[in-house]
Amino acid sequence: MSSLTPETSVRRAWWRRLFAQSPTVLAGLAILLGFVVGAFVIIFTSPVVLRSWRHIFSSGGAIFSALKITADNVGAAYRAMFTGSVISPNLLWHSLSTGHGWSTTLTPLSETLTYATPLLIASIGVGIAFQTGIFNIGANGQAIMGGIGGAAVGSMIHVPMGLHLPLTLLAGVLGGVVVGLVPGLLKAYTGAHEVIVTLMFNYVVAAFLIFAVLSTPLQQPGQSNDISRTIDGSAQLPPLFGVASGLRVSYGIFVAAAVVIFAWWFLERSSLGFEFRVTGQNPQAARASGINARFIIIAVFCVSGGLAGLAGTVQMQSTTHYVDGGFLIGNAGIGFTAITVALLGRNKPVGIMWGSILFAALGVGGRAMQAATGIPLDLATIIQSFVVLLVATPVMITEIFRLRHVSTQRIQLATQGWGS
Amino acid sequence: MSVSTLVSTARPARDRRTTTIGLIMVAIGLFITIAFGLMVPGWAHSQLTFDPINSAVHAPWHLGALTVVTRWSDVVLGLLAIALGVEVVLRHPRRALSRFGVTSVLFLLALLLWSSRTSGPASVNFVDLTAVLVGSSSLAMVLIYGSLSGVMCERAGVVNIAIEGQFIVGAFLGSMIESTTGNFWFATLAGALAGALLGWVLAFLALRYMSDQIIVGVVIVTLMSSLSSYLNLQVLTPYPQYNLGNLAPNVAIPLLYKIPVLGPVLFNQTGFFYLAVALIALVSFGLFRTRWGLRVRAVGEHPKAAESVGINVVATRYRNVVLGGAIAGIGGVAFMATQGQFQPGYTSGFGYIALAALIFGRWTPSGAVVASVLFGISSYLANNLQSYSIPVSTEVLNMFPYLITIAVVAGLIGRVRPPAADGIPYQRS
Repeated sequence: MSSLTPETSVRRAWWRRLFAQSPTVLAGLAILLGFVVGAFVIIFTSPVVLRSWRHIFSSGGAIFSALKITADNVGAAYRAMFTGSVISPNLLWHSLSTGHGWSTTLTPLSETLTYATPLLIASIGVGIAFQTGIFNIGANGQAIMGGIGGAAVGSMIHVPMGLHLPLTLLAGVLGGVVVGLVPGLLKAYTGAHEVIVTLMFNYVVAAFLIFAVLSTPLQQPGQSNDISRTIDGSAQLPPLFGVASGLRVSYGIFVAAAVVIFAWWFLERSSLGFEFRVTGQNPQAARASGINARFIIIAVFCVSGGLAGLAGTVQMQSTTHYVDGGFLIGNAGIGFTAITVALLGRNKPVGIMWGSILFAALGVGGRAMQAATGIPLDLATIIQSFVVLLVATPVMITEIFRLRHVSTQRIQLATQGWGS
Repeated sequence: MSVSTLVSTARPARDRRTTTIGLIMVAIGLFITIAFGLMVPGWAHSQLTFDPINSAVHAPWHLGALTVVTRWSDVVLGLLAIALGVEVVLRHPRRALSRFGVTSVLFLLALLLWSSRTSGPASVNFVDLTAVLVGSSSLAMVLIYGSLSGVMCERAGVVNIAIEGQFIVGAFLGSMIESTTGNFWFATLAGALAGALLGWVLAFLALRYMSDQIIVGVVIVTLMSSLSSYLNLQVLTPYPQYNLGNLAPNVAIPLLYKIPVLGPVLFNQTGFFYLAVALIALVSFGLFRTRWGLRVRAVGEHPKAAESVGINVVATRYRNVVLGGAIAGIGGVAFMATQGQFQPGYTSGFGYIALAALIFGRWTPSGAVVASVLFGISSYLANNLQSYSIPVSTEVLNMFPYLITIAVVAGLIGRVRPPAADGIPYQRS
């Protein structure tokens, strides 16, 4: 930026800005390329499409029919993804013209926001860690523990809602803090690399989840399945438009909004947040100015783990109201998606907000696509991975699209080597 | 240069850590002596057998079962562990780590004796030592492939956290190719090529575009696990003939396989096992005895100095990461060839455990092998101890390999020093 004089930046026309290397443009192009790659994955795994291409030389028009079949298949998949996660034009028209059926029309949007809520909270936790130079891959384990904590307090304590709801949320935060604290302490005092420790904790917590929902205090009485007690109504995050609306989007989005505001304030205005960022950008300078590196490591794991735990309990309190053996396991997990969202949003609260809505839409739309076209849901994760791979290599996108360099960035790593 | 660099300057001297290790060993010894030994009634007996369970491998020399008094044999094992711990505390030997390894083996042996005691809770009232070792060896073999891959990459200064992804792609392609061609050579080749390709992607992004190596590695793993799950649903489920999951046949080495206990473990294995052994020797010799190895290590420690004497840093790193990827890819095929049919997610973090083995082994091939063997045994026991009705739930046992990994990475083993330029992008100035 320093090379630009104020006049040129003012005079810069919008189309020139469009081809400049700005974070938003880079993210947009990465998303575009991700969808292109997804289309190729669909093409190469759909027998119908492949068969149509096998015969393109048999007749003159065959190549056009092959192109049409390809476009139809890819189009159907992406259309199902869109209508399943945002809105279906037909239903919208129907609702607008008749005034009925709004709950069906708005269900996709509500589902997207329902999934975006915990994802946003967890991603902000990961993003704060990234800003401090810490890679927290363990968000999923921390979120699971948050869900367990929330389920325990929500189902076993019986107090009025005004007290119960905050207590349950707090229990989730504490669950996440407990799981996050161990890697933090180990890194601070023994130098153990957080990537391996937090990853291993994901497996440990997944095993603990099964243990917890199969053991006496938490397991649903009279059940032999891996399912916990259901939390009281006073601990649930109620649906925003009432139970009757059938829309699942809950008051959890206010929790998420509060987290965004908190994170912005924390990183930009608080002194601890400042110390976090200084440590992330220049550990030497941080140490020279008297910042206690060991304390910062432990603190960042508490904040990051606590937010992940909050994400887990919000997920549980607003959707299922219990945890079972499959809670946030496998495809349902949010930890890895949270990493990708944090990277996509450049670890900034607002960027993360847009990123989490987008990736939640991808996930929800992926489910709809699987139901409609039979293309597996994993396509959404494949697209997400590609997007992040591209976002993590901005230089490559700049070269592919021949964007103008705005600034030559110093190489800044989000993570560190094995340490010592 | 990292946060932990700053912390490390304030670290206590290494001696205190050695003392801690010794005290932990003494505690383990006391636990064995009391819980597994003195608390067992004096009349309980344990049985150790030595014949392989696999009846196809007839034991040429039948060894009778060894029956011992549980209490006193476990007391002896416990006292041995205490003695080792006391020695570590008092003398601070240089090889405290290997003594800790011995102690963990003593612990596992005592646990096996204790769990198989007569009139104990177990349905199986004997321990087949050979079966335990054979089962562990196939897991250890996979970890050896993974950690050798890590040695190759990290000695050249690139962190390869994508080993798990290379395992997945190797296992997936290995199963497909083996099922269609019926030939493990082709499967191995395909796995090696796919692993090398992933290694190249990592190297390309890390070396050309200077991306964050750990992030790229993690994303490659995510990508491979989702892609394999996607293809599993799209291709393998509708066409099960592409995922037969045949196990690789054992190749017995003449004469040697007849050695009791050691024979079935070391000389009657799949070709993948012998290949792993050959690779250990090759990587070990190559890194420390050849000009190539010296150059690789120079690139990993001080790339600027290496460049100044005319070594091509970027080319060396590319070559090593691609080779390392190929090794991990073969590891994936080996996993499939010993564990059966491909399923999404069935490598369950083995790639990361291999990384931990690499750290435990202090970035040397031989150390990584020792660590892999320890991890292999503990993983195998965690998966199989249920059959001995240990009064610990399955879920808690399943946490074990991961907890051990954490303990290891947390520097139970003392301060480890990675290659100096590990994970740091190289820019020619």
